[in-house]
Amino acid sequence: MSSLESIPSLGKVVVVGGCGFLGSHIVSYIVKHHPQTRVAVLDLRTSSNRNASANVSYHDGDVTDVASMKALFSQLKPDAVIHTASPHFNLGPEILDKVNVQGTKNLLQAAQNAGVKAFVYTSSAGVVLDAVTELVNADERWPLVTGKAQPEYYTTTKAYAETAVLEANRKPESFLTCAIRPAGIFGEGDVQLLPKMVSAYRKGQTKFQVGDNNNLFDFTYVENVAHGHLLAVVALLKTHKILPTVPLDTERVDGEAFFVTNGEPVYFWDFARAVWHEAGDRLPLKSVWHLSADVAWMIGTVLEYTFWALGKTPNLTRAQVRYSSMSKYHSVSKARQRLGYEPIVSLDEGVRRGVRYILEQEEKVGQKKGQ
Amino acid sequence: MPSPSSILYYVFHPNELRSIIQWKVWHNPVHERDESKECESLKRSFYFLTKTSRSFSAVILELHPELLVPVALFYLVLRGLDTVEDDMTIPLEKKEPVLRNFQNVLEQDGWTFTENGPNEKDRQLLVEFNVVIEEFKKIKPAYREIIKDITKRMGNGMADYANNAEHNINGVNTIKDYELYCHYVAGLVGEGLTRLFVEGGLANAALLKKPELMESMGQFLQQVNITRDIKEDLDDGRRFWPKEIWSKHVDKFEDLFKPENKEKALNASSEMILTALNRADDCLYYLAGLREQSVFNFCAIPQSMAIATLNECFQNYDLFQKNVKITKGDACQLMVESSQNLQLVCEVFKRYARKIHKRNNPHDPNFLKISIALGRIEQFIESIFPSQKPPVDSKSPASVEEAEKKKKEDNEAKWDLIYMISAIALTVGVITFFMLFIAWIAGARFDIAYYQLKEQLGDLLGTNSKPAQVTEVHVASGHSEL
Repeated sequence: MSSLESIPSLGKVVVVGGCGFLGSHIVSYIVKHHPQTRVAVLDLRTSSNRNASANVSYHDGDVTDVASMKALFSQLKPDAVIHTASPHFNLGPEILDKVNVQGTKNLLQAAQNAGVKAFVYTSSAGVVLDAVTELVNADERWPLVTGKAQPEYYTTTKAYAETAVLEANRKPESFLTCAIRPAGIFGEGDVQLLPKMVSAYRKGQTKFQVGDNNNLFDFTYVENVAHGHLLAVVALLKTHKILPTVPLDTERVDGEAFFVTNGEPVYFWDFARAVWHEAGDRLPLKSVWHLSADVAWMIGTVLEYTFWALGKTPNLTRAQVRYSSMSKYHSVSKARQRLGYEPIVSLDEGVRRGVRYILEQEEKVGQKKGQ
Repeated sequence: MPSPSSILYYVFHPNELRSIIQWKVWHNPVHERDESKECESLKRSFYFLTKTSRSFSAVILELHPELLVPVALFYLVLRGLDTVEDDMTIPLEKKEPVLRNFQNVLEQDGWTFTENGPNEKDRQLLVEFNVVIEEFKKIKPAYREIIKDITKRMGNGMADYANNAEHNINGVNTIKDYELYCHYVAGLVGEGLTRLFVEGGLANAALLKKPELMESMGQFLQQVNITRDIKEDLDDGRRFWPKEIWSKHVDKFEDLFKPENKEKALNASSEMILTALNRADDCLYYLAGLREQSVFNFCAIPQSMAIATLNECFQNYDLFQKNVKITKGDACQLMVESSQNLQLVCEVFKRYARKIHKRNNPHDPNFLKISIALGRIEQFIESIFPSQKPPVDSKSPASVEEAEKKKKEDNEAKWDLIYMISAIALTVGVITFFMLFIAWIAGARFDIAYYQLKEQLGDLLGTNSKPAQVTEVHVASGHSEL
């Protein structure tokens, strides 16, 4: 499959959410690896994270408005759509429903109308994670966890959208879809993972460690996620070429979901300590205080209620305790076999790039302030 | 006779003593060699085997009878080759033709070699090499071909290195050179043994289609030895750690041993350990392809020892000062655990992976890479012995429609239940009413029944005073008697 990497043009590709963290990396990946592709970025606001290439155009639009989506798609006539747009994790259920579920359905309709060949949706690895079970080398056989069993409503809506995308596959026959489920995305421009870890270091929290740190965890460098998406686009376009022949069940990409990770699960705190080291931490291993997960859980409970009464969020929450002491890693065999996926940037290189980016940004801000 | 210090040691480490006793007392060899049927030259060959190898002879001697002699001879042939290569007293022009020609020597009756220096520890093997050749002639031709092929390639590889002046002065240069060297002296052994196992029907032939696995089996053992033996090799004037690795940490090889470079030396050693660790999952994969218990033990025991040795070397500055070894107790425990099944060997690998993990230093340049290598071992073990099955599908709704449908269905189910209970209650009520009505028509005295019911309930609950009631009944009965 690696020969497919050298395809210069994928035709016209719409990247929905192309100004977001993952979306903008997908745009740069296309510009770098498929340079003759025409990319149309669709986002709510297209002022940030813009790519300088002349092959990239920007279109403001709202996925919740089905009429405008249909109009835009019939004007653009894309070959492929990559849908990465998602509202912030913490927003209310109405907006999550509206954007993740209804917005995705609107895009599917618009794409079906405009004769799109390939539609790739950015789902989440969290769709198989419930409130109590760990994930040990979990693969795509694991069932979706939604509704009451799913602790995060955000994830429920991602799962609903994923189902909608996969159900739309081959409706009509020439419309092919699949879903990518990344786990723990980080990298330049990420607003969730690395910035939080770096600020934990600044607050002196590197002295503490919860749990026995034998829990393996998946983190994925953003460029690898972009790589996975594009392999999926290429595979769907390839399947489109052989229509109406349907690939073997064991080779099929259309109508399927794929976990995409760095394929390098590491012990949770090792990742954090690697980030901290890169950010400048030199605390020796023996000065670290080890807190058992149970004790931390109790402290978290007390803190959460105390801070709730004060109207604040504490530095240690039960959710954090759980995430830092549980195993959560996946098998990427399916993506390897069917997409030819292999991470292109190693985890330690990704950490280096991501943390250096944060430090550079801070330096820039500092210089501006200094002037 | 155990020394007083070792007795003291085992007083404080009873677990190790237990493992030693366990191994010595309870271990039954899978197969035993039958000495009575052996001729003189074979006996002499086995004598050399036990003489030249401490660690391997034990596992070789327990091998399946089909392979016992071929593998023992294979070992002796390579030991002979190694004895020529190692001996720095033999001039190159004499050494090279012997190395390059060794596969033919195997077919020359009565060939011996007496030019080893007097201090070469295994020189006697070559002096009496004719016994090995004598036995070699008797084994199956297929086995002979395999042994000759490997001998030829290893001898030529060794000769190339002996010829390479730069290698002799500066040691191994790049990591690629290092792995090539390990290929000649160990990777090839892995290949030869695998071909022997498959030829003898004791291993899955698919192992030959995955040559990287048998290569890793040899590489892992050899790299661990090279990593561990750095001090010993330095004292012997040899260096096998590739410059590409140590030069990242110090300028000169000798600087690794200077106390002021302690941290740098440790960082260099963890890079060596990381290079070896990256082969560990392949080794487990390979072991999964073995079919016969004695062959499994033969392969698994050295691998377990190797990962335990890596753990011993990891973040241990003794590595640069003396010979680092695993304790005898640990070795016996590892032998017990590695002579049963793959799952136990996987447990051993996981246990040592986590021991290494606990001491992994976040400020070591290869910290995260080591963590990834250990994670890969754990993930591989999970892939062959999953500890978690896919959860039972609790049928959470997969889409909004399903969620709504489920909500509606749940709601409907609730009302269905309410209707059903009401219907039952109504039916029972109507029937009861009719029964009572018919009974009343027929003359039933519900007022008495009601009164008695009240009485009995009163008795049960104890609200009526019992003695009073008894008297009353008594009086009543008295009247009737009159």
